[in-house]
Amino acid sequence: MSTGDPVGLVREADEQAVVVGEGAERQITARSPMQLFWRRLRRDKVAMVALGFIVLLIAMAVLAPVIVSITGTPDPRTQSSEALDVFGTPTGPSSAHPFGVDRLGRDVFSRTVYGARVSLEVALIATGIAVMIGVAIGLVAGFYRGWIDTVLSRLTDVVLAFPILLLGLGLAAACSGANGCFSGLIQPGLPVVIMVIAIINWTYIARIVRGQVLSLREKEFVEAARSLGASDRRIIVREVLPNLFAPLIVYSSLLIPANILLEAALSFLGVGVAGGTPSWGAMINEATSLFPDAWWFMLFPGLALLLTVLAFNLVGDGLQDALDPRRR
Amino acid sequence: MSRSLLKTLLALAALVALLGLGACGGDDDEPAGDSGTPAQTEEGGGNITEQLFAGSAADNRANPAEGGKKGGKLTVLSAGDVDYMDPQKTYYTYAIGIINAIHRGLYAYLPGDTTKAVPDLAEGDPDISDDGKTVTVKLKQGVKFSAPVSRDVTSKDVKYGIERAFTANVANGYARVYLGDLVGASAEPGEYEEIPGIETPDDQTIVFKLKKGTGAALAGALAMPISVPVPKEYAQKYDKENPSTYGEGHAVYTGPYMVESDAEGKAVGYVPGKRIHLVRNPDYAPVDDFRPAFLDEIDIQAGNEDTSVATRRILSGESMISGEIEPPASQLKRLLESNKKELSAVPGGGWRMISVDTSRPPFDDIDVRKAVIAGFDRAAARQQRGGEALGPIAQHLIPPGMAGFEESNSEKGWVDEMDWLASEEGDRTKSAEYFKKAGMSSGKYEGSEELLIVGDNAEPDKSISQITEQQLNEMGFKTTLRLVTRDTMFTKFCNVPKSEVNVCPSVGWAQDFADPQTMLDPTFNGNNIIETQNSNWPELDVPALNDKIEKAKLVIEPAERAKAWADVNHDIMAQAPSIPYMWDYQAVVASPNVRGVQNGYSTTWDLNFTSLR
Repeated sequence: MSTGDPVGLVREADEQAVVVGEGAERQITARSPMQLFWRRLRRDKVAMVALGFIVLLIAMAVLAPVIVSITGTPDPRTQSSEALDVFGTPTGPSSAHPFGVDRLGRDVFSRTVYGARVSLEVALIATGIAVMIGVAIGLVAGFYRGWIDTVLSRLTDVVLAFPILLLGLGLAAACSGANGCFSGLIQPGLPVVIMVIAIINWTYIARIVRGQVLSLREKEFVEAARSLGASDRRIIVREVLPNLFAPLIVYSSLLIPANILLEAALSFLGVGVAGGTPSWGAMINEATSLFPDAWWFMLFPGLALLLTVLAFNLVGDGLQDALDPRRR
Repeated sequence: MSRSLLKTLLALAALVALLGLGACGGDDDEPAGDSGTPAQTEEGGGNITEQLFAGSAADNRANPAEGGKKGGKLTVLSAGDVDYMDPQKTYYTYAIGIINAIHRGLYAYLPGDTTKAVPDLAEGDPDISDDGKTVTVKLKQGVKFSAPVSRDVTSKDVKYGIERAFTANVANGYARVYLGDLVGASAEPGEYEEIPGIETPDDQTIVFKLKKGTGAALAGALAMPISVPVPKEYAQKYDKENPSTYGEGHAVYTGPYMVESDAEGKAVGYVPGKRIHLVRNPDYAPVDDFRPAFLDEIDIQAGNEDTSVATRRILSGESMISGEIEPPASQLKRLLESNKKELSAVPGGGWRMISVDTSRPPFDDIDVRKAVIAGFDRAAARQQRGGEALGPIAQHLIPPGMAGFEESNSEKGWVDEMDWLASEEGDRTKSAEYFKKAGMSSGKYEGSEELLIVGDNAEPDKSISQITEQQLNEMGFKTTLRLVTRDTMFTKFCNVPKSEVNVCPSVGWAQDFADPQTMLDPTFNGNNIIETQNSNWPELDVPALNDKIEKAKLVIEPAERAKAWADVNHDIMAQAPSIPYMWDYQAVVASPNVRGVQNGYSTTWDLNFTSLR
C-alpha cells in the first residue's frame, strides 16, 4: 500500500485531530486533510467571496446566450448603425444598451458577457497545457537528475528568457497575411494565443516541480517503495506525484489570472482573437482611440477584466493559506 | 500585513484609478444629447455637409485675400512628413500645398475655385490646337530664381523641369500618364535626355508637341508641380545622383517663401521627418502674382500622430494650423458647436468605394453586383468616416466641384435609371430581386465559395471592412476577412490582380487635377489593368467602355469634354462595378487668432492666403 498521501499533509500530525464543540462532552473528531483544507478555506471570507464571483463568472460565460436573451440586448456581433449618432460616434448607456455600444454599434454589455468566454477559455486551456508540460518536465528533471536534469533545466532557462510579448507581436506581424504563416499552419486567432501562453508558462511550473521532486525523492517513503522493488514509473506516479498536488493547485490558481491578463495584452496588441469575437483585451484596444467620446467602451470590459483577475488572485492566495498554514 | 490584504488593497487602488479615468472621460463628454442633428437642417443651398459648415472658416474661401494682416509666424502641426520636397517628385496633395508657397508653376488653383486652374508663371490660359496635338503656353516676364541662381526664369527652365521628371533619378509618378504622348518622350525612366516634343522658340514661350490629340490632359497636368521651373545649370549636379537630391538637399525658389537655405542653396530648414522651416524669399519678384503671402515665417512640424491631441493643441493655442491631419470625426461633432470659426472643410476631390473583383465569380455576374450594391448599407460605411457631416453618399464617380459633376446630375446621379443605387441604407427586397435575376431563387447568394476580403487594419477602414463582411454575410456570402497594413493591402493584395482578392473595402481615389479623366481613366479603363500597382481595382474591362474612355481623352473644348466624361461616368455606373459610398470632405482646424483659408485643390490650409488676425 502506498505511503504517499493525496493532499500532501500527512506529516502535519498536530493538525490531524481538531477539537470540536465546547463544554462538558468534549469530543475529538478525526478529520481528513481535505476536510481540514476546506475548513480553513471557508474561514477566509475574502477568498470565499472571490470564489463566489468566479462561480458566477463561469456561469455567466456558460450561459452567455441565455443572459443576453433575458436582458434583451442584441447578439454581440450584431452591428447597428442606428446606435451611432449622425457623426458615427457610439452612444452611451441607455435602456436598449445598458453598457452603451462600440464604434460599430455592437452592444458592449453583450460583448462583455461573451468576452468572459474567451478569457476563461484561454486561461483554463493554456494553464492546463502549461501545467501538464511543466509537471512532466519538472518530474523527469528532478527525479533522474544528472545530464537529463541539466538539459531540461537549461531548456527551461532558455524558454524563461524568451520575450513573450515580442514573440506574440512577431507572430502577429508574420501571420497576419491572407494565408497565415508556415503555409497556413499558424493562423492568427485563439489557438495561437493559447499556444503562445502555454509555451511560455510551463517553465514556472517545471521549476517548482523539479525542486519539490528533488527533496521528495530522498524521503523515507520513496526509499521504502524502492526497497520493495517498485519501478521508477510507479514511484513517480504513485509516490511523488500525489505529493505535488498542493503546490500545483496554488501555482495554477495564480497562473490563471496572469494568463487572463496575457490574453488581454495579446488581444490588445492585435495578436489575439480574430475579427468579431468579443475579447476584453481587444475591446479595450478598440476603445483607446474613442476614449474621450465613448468612455463606456473601455470602462466595462476594463472593470470585468480587473474584477476577474482580482478574484482569481484572491482565491489563489486563499488556497495557498489553506493548504499551507505555516506560511501565514 | 498579510499578503492577501496587501494584494486586495493594491487591486482596489487600481480599481479606483480606473474609475477615476472613466469619470474624467465622462466630464469630457457633456453634450451627449443631440442638438440640431444635421438631418433636420434640410433647407438651404448645398448639401448637408456644406450646410453644416456654413459660418465656418470655409466661408473665407469666397474672399481669400480680404482682411488679412501682414506679418507673424505660423506653426503647422502635421503627423508625418511630405513625400518629397522636389517639385517634380512629389505626388501628395499635402506636399503640393507647401510647394505652391515656395515655387511658381505654370498654373495653380485659387482657394475657392477647384474647377479651373489660373495662370501663375504662365501669362494666360494654355492654347490647345484643334487637333489637340499642340499646346502653347506664354510665360510672364521678370519672375526670378532665388540665390545663388538669381536670374530671370525662362521657358527653358520649365522644359528642363519636365524633362528631369522623366528620368530614373527623379522618377515622377504621373509624367507618363499625362505627358507620355510628347514627341520623343521615353517610355521608361532612364538617363536624362532632351525631349524634342518640348520646344522653346523664345524665353517666354514653350510649345508642347504630342503624338496623339491628348493636349487637354497635358494642359490640365500643367497645374501640377511638374511645371515648376528648375535651372539646369544649378540642378544638373544634384540630378546626377540617384535619387536626385534637388529639392531635399539643394534648391532655388520662385515663390514668396523658401525653405531656409544657406548661400549655396542648401535647404538647412528641411529636416526630413521632422521639420520644414519656411522664411520669406528675399529674391521673390511678385510679378502679377495672386499670392498675398501675409505671413513672415512658417514652421511645419511633423510628429503629431495623435490627431485628437493635435486638434486640441491647435484650438487652445495661438498661431497654429493643422497640416495633413484631420480632427477625428468623433471630435468634429463638438467642434461644430463650439469652434465653428476655427474649422473649415472642402470636398476632398475624390470618392471612396468598396471594390469588388468583376473579372471572376461571383462578381463577374452583373446582377450579383447590382444585388450587393442594392442591399448594402452604404450609410453605415460612411458613418465610420464621420457620416453626412463629412460628405454625401457617392452616387457616381465624378466628385463635387469637378467638371462633369453637374453633367452627371450632380449628387443625384442616375438613381432613377439605376434602381440598385436608390437606397443609402440598403434595400434587401431590391437586392433579393437582383439575386433572383441572377438565378438564385432564395433571394440571397447561393454559391459556396469563400470570398477573400482584404482591408486596411487602421481605423476607420478596419471598421468599414468589418461592416462589409457583415453585410456580405447577411446577403448569403461566405467570407474570410484579412486586415493588414495599408501598404501591404495595396502592394500584396488590392493592387495585384493575381492575388485574387474578391473584395477591397478600403480603396479610394482623388483627382490629380481638375479633370474627370483623372478620376475615371486609371480606375475603370480595362487598358490600364496592370500586374502590379494596378488601380483599376474592380478589374473592369468592357471593350465598348474602354473605347469610349479613349475617345473622351481626345475631346478639347471644356463643355464638350465635361459632357463626354459624364457620359463615360454613366456607362461605368451602369456596369455596377463596385460600391461607391462617399465623396468625402477634408476638414482642417486653426487657432482662434488665425484667419485660415482652405485651398480646395490641396485640401489643406493655403499658406499663401492664411494670415494672423
